[in-house]
Amino acid sequence: MPVVTPLLAAVIFAAGAFAGGLGASLGIGGGVFLVPLLNLGLGFPITVAAAVSLATVIATSSSVTAGRAGKRLMNFRLGMVLEVATAAGSVLGGITAQLLSQATLQILFGVVTMLVAIVTIRRLKQRNVILDPDAHPGRLGGRYHEEESGGVVVYRIRRMPVALAASFVAGNVSSLLGIGGGVIKVPVLNAWCGVPLRAAAATSAFMIGVTATGGAIVYYGNGQLLPEAAAAAVLGVQLGSWLGLKVSARVPVRYLKVLLAVVLVVVAVLMFVRGTR
Amino acid sequence: MSQATDSTLELLIGRVLRIGVTLSGIFLAAGLAAALVHPGAGAVLLNIGIVVLICTPAARVVLSTIEYLIDRDWLFVGLTSIVLLELIAGAVAAIVFHTRL
Repeated sequence: MPVVTPLLAAVIFAAGAFAGGLGASLGIGGGVFLVPLLNLGLGFPITVAAAVSLATVIATSSSVTAGRAGKRLMNFRLGMVLEVATAAGSVLGGITAQLLSQATLQILFGVVTMLVAIVTIRRLKQRNVILDPDAHPGRLGGRYHEEESGGVVVYRIRRMPVALAASFVAGNVSSLLGIGGGVIKVPVLNAWCGVPLRAAAATSAFMIGVTATGGAIVYYGNGQLLPEAAAAAVLGVQLGSWLGLKVSARVPVRYLKVLLAVVLVVVAVLMFVRGTR
Repeated sequence: MSQATDSTLELLIGRVLRIGVTLSGIFLAAGLAAALVHPGAGAVLLNIGIVVLICTPAARVVLSTIEYLIDRDWLFVGLTSIVLLELIAGAVAAIVFHTRL
């Protein structure tokens, strides 16, 4: 494993800033870029890359949630129910990662990234909202101020078992590969479970902190969360996502989606090829 | 379910997460600076930073449990407690793994 010299720390910081910036502009976590950079680019074992990436996911989720507090877009109750499934999934994922070979994890990373690219290109966008602000949201649904229609909208949750299953799988994949897992939860919550896209994304970003913690605990206890690398990456990602949010507001969404899909396909192919060699 | 409780909880959680992330960022930056100046130094600061970071979402879960306890919302007291137990199980599993391998 590489020794973290000042030069390497600077490179990891820059990689974190790049991954965080790209992730924040494209509305997904930076893990999907950071893990290949650390693993393929800098030669860290994939478990160490995943552990470091999970540390950055915790920091990003916490900052984003703190920034959104009070806006009522996050559905805390739904999030806390789904966390029961996602935390179980992530702890099991962290344990499973110890048993799989580096090549298997790389192939898995390639496959998941390719699926994310496909979902990104044909992003489902169900509105799922009830325009009557007095409608009852049910036990776990919610209501928030929607900018598109300029009024308060209500939504109800459907197919709770599907949401729980998706959260479990997302937690599992998150820990195994060091990514946030929102790429799995958000489309499922939006397409099948009645949650509007913005509420699904906000709730997922809130949950991801706990998801990543479940995996990070396992890696840290096992000595795979390299403190120097994690520090450089966390600080880099924090800076990068702050910059990314500022820049992305000025770039049309269409270009961002195409850019994201292209980058994801490249990442997927690189990881897959390395894993099968 | 009370909307008022959820709103206060949201602000409270936001504050705890902000404090946790800022605190861990300070420790990580200080530890990294120390480690780069004197190789091998700064390990304590770095590890405090990592532990604070990992504990931040966990602290948010504990806070929710307390808030729901005050609100006598037993279902959510139960759910948030299960999440906490799962995270503890992860820590125990990691230690078992580490000592065995």
